[in-house]
Amino acid sequence: MAAGKGRIGFLVNPIAGMGGPVGLKGTDGLAEKAIAMGARPRAMERARACLDHLSREKDAIHFLTASGSMGESSLKECGLDYEVVYSPFPVTSSMDTIGTCQAFLDKGADLILFCGGDGTARDVAGIAGSTPILGIPAGVKMHSGVFAASPQAAADLAMRFLKKELNLRETEIVDVDEELYRAGILQTRLYLLAKTPYLPVLVSEKKRIYSSVQEDEFKDQIALFASEFMRDGSAYIIGAGTTTSRIADVLGIKKTLLGVDVVQDGRLLIRDASEEELLGLLDRVKSVKIILSPIGAQGFIIGRGSQQISAALLRRVGLDNLIIISTPHKLAEIPYLLVDTGDEDLDVALAGKRQVVTGYRIAQMKETLAASRLKAL
Amino acid sequence: MKIKYLLDEEEIPKKWYNVAADMPTPLKPPLNPGTLKPLTAQDMEAIFPKALIQQEMSTERWIDIPEEVREILKLWRPTPLYRAASLEKALKTPAKIYYKYEGVSPAGSHKPNTAIPQAYYNMKEGIERLATETGAGQWGSALSLATCLFGLQCTVYMVRSSFDSKPYRKSAMRVWGAECLSSPSDRTNFGRQIREKMPDTPGSLGIAISEAVEDAASHDNTNYSLGSVLNHVLLHQTIEGQELKKQFDMTEDYPDVMFGCCGGGSNFPGMVFPFIPDKLKDKKDLRMVACEPTACPTLTEGLFAYDYGDTAGMAPVIMMYTLGHDFIPPGIHAGGLRYHGDAPLLSNLVHDGLIEATALQQTEVFEAATLFARTEGIIPAPESAHAIKPAIDEALNCRKTGEEKVIFISLSGHGHFDLSSYDAYNDGKLVDYVYPAELVKQSLAKLPKP
Repeated sequence: MAAGKGRIGFLVNPIAGMGGPVGLKGTDGLAEKAIAMGARPRAMERARACLDHLSREKDAIHFLTASGSMGESSLKECGLDYEVVYSPFPVTSSMDTIGTCQAFLDKGADLILFCGGDGTARDVAGIAGSTPILGIPAGVKMHSGVFAASPQAAADLAMRFLKKELNLRETEIVDVDEELYRAGILQTRLYLLAKTPYLPVLVSEKKRIYSSVQEDEFKDQIALFASEFMRDGSAYIIGAGTTTSRIADVLGIKKTLLGVDVVQDGRLLIRDASEEELLGLLDRVKSVKIILSPIGAQGFIIGRGSQQISAALLRRVGLDNLIIISTPHKLAEIPYLLVDTGDEDLDVALAGKRQVVTGYRIAQMKETLAASRLKAL
Repeated sequence: MKIKYLLDEEEIPKKWYNVAADMPTPLKPPLNPGTLKPLTAQDMEAIFPKALIQQEMSTERWIDIPEEVREILKLWRPTPLYRAASLEKALKTPAKIYYKYEGVSPAGSHKPNTAIPQAYYNMKEGIERLATETGAGQWGSALSLATCLFGLQCTVYMVRSSFDSKPYRKSAMRVWGAECLSSPSDRTNFGRQIREKMPDTPGSLGIAISEAVEDAASHDNTNYSLGSVLNHVLLHQTIEGQELKKQFDMTEDYPDVMFGCCGGGSNFPGMVFPFIPDKLKDKKDLRMVACEPTACPTLTEGLFAYDYGDTAGMAPVIMMYTLGHDFIPPGIHAGGLRYHGDAPLLSNLVHDGLIEATALQQTEVFEAATLFARTEGIIPAPESAHAIKPAIDEALNCRKTGEEKVIFISLSGHGHFDLSSYDAYNDGKLVDYVYPAELVKQSLAKLPKP
């Protein structure tokens, strides 16, 4: 290894994010089912998008990685030099994530850069100790505070960290509490604390679930207004979250908290829909609209939480038929709305000032940015 | 260059101008909120003095101003007309900009123009106390001043968001001997209901009106007083426009376009109504533009329909532009413009195409107000600043076209009680609200028709 280079432990969870587009709430233990349902590996693409950006600084970085799909193949494709420090079992599991990270620590990694979701973050943080970790967002759920806003932003943060331009902060590793979720309550549970390089805007804030009385009133106002404007005969694709699910409450429909449902004329048309089912809907129904709410303090309206709402779907529904709702509290805490559809042209088309419904017949304008275009401030 | 155009006290008008006499389309009658039949004089006697009811229903073109009222108006009237020479210079515009400043009144706005006659007529008919509502606090201050000058008591229901953000308004009302309550209050049945249902509501003019009407209707010695919307309020405010016509004669200019802010309607109609005959009879090419917030765009996005004047449905049902009496506008900093409806006289003229309307975002309004303060010196009330922004745009457009248009701004009041709002603007904390008109239209599309 060359002296003076920053050491990045680079790790990919190859199955991360596959459950989302087919309507599963995560991929842990469900990879085979996801593949059977037609899911494509997404993490590799996200990893490459990050490495492409990092390759500009390749002379300053010494990559440590695991062999095969857990890192080596992505690095090789991007033409980067690396040192394999771990060989996973033929069918990778969280044991391999932990084994790889232990090897990174033994080799003195300055930073662990991993590609995955909240599940991967839990495994990495569980062993990293005081070594900083940084997530390339590629999972279905990314509520933890270690995820950069986009693969490009992750590259930017990693580089600036190695150049000692950034400080570290302690952040929470959270995941949806499965037990409460099954009882219909969306609540994230704190599992661990981890150190991560920090620059406002570029790192996603831990998702917050607001539940103060006052904010509830606004959710009711928004839901009441939505129940009125949804009388226009269109089919409404309703995204995940507590704000959107209040609409279902007002309509007397039982909605999935983390899933995407379709409602028309006050009736539930499809519960927990997959991307394919949503695209199929467009063949049958003349007017389709989408209602989304930003995810917690991160500000993502597309690309986190509801991967069923894909670039292809958005293009067919039409950007004018995208309705964004948010309580004013939540909106006040996010600097921008962020979109990350995986289709940069579409992200750019979605950017600009967008109307956000914040109450009964009340809206605000909020700047929307393509996450891939976020640069360090 | 001459800057100030001042009239002598003797030139304070001796009559009010009633635009109802010249309206191309007559007003539709207000309805009793209980029976939905046309409102009778008796219906109104529970809360208004007879003299004001007569004025409310009158179609006489000219109505005498009592001498006792003129004597008090002399404290600050006639108000000055200014040439905005510094602003013109900053904008490098060939246009001429004028503004008439009502902030010289003791209460700091145009509102005493109607508060004084209203208190006077109530005093003459033996009323002991007036109950009213206030948004930004301008009207509450004006009525507190007026009641104090005529020896009446005064109870002011002040919209909660303003009550909290403008504590010194309350202090001023107290100095003038009035009682100022945060609305919804625990003083009325309706206030208590709202507090129970919506404990964190910012309040609204609609709610405060309901409280004041309930207070007046349930006490024999108490009448209700309103600072905008009603015909007699607009009538009293025409004193402004009549002065302005004389002042424009002194300048030897005539306005091409007049801008004024508009909540429920009082300053703007008062300033422009005396020019309506010029437009109708002399075919003058004059634009009159009502300026409202995008958060509460009654004239630009509302329906022209019969609706309740208040939230509880106790006030008369009137034909006007409305966003719906159940609409509670967001807590913008121009509290005085947060009203769901608009004056019937003004609505009618907008509907007939004689008056235009435009809507503005609050950050652009504060930006314009800041430029105005840094050139003309006066810190405008956020409400008044809604008229400044489009006037600046018009002047900048003249820079492009080379036109020497005469632009008029109705500057209804100063912003000395609104400095916390200016702080919020300077700290980058203002939120720009919009009215989701398309979605509202969508929600009304399939409603059952009555």
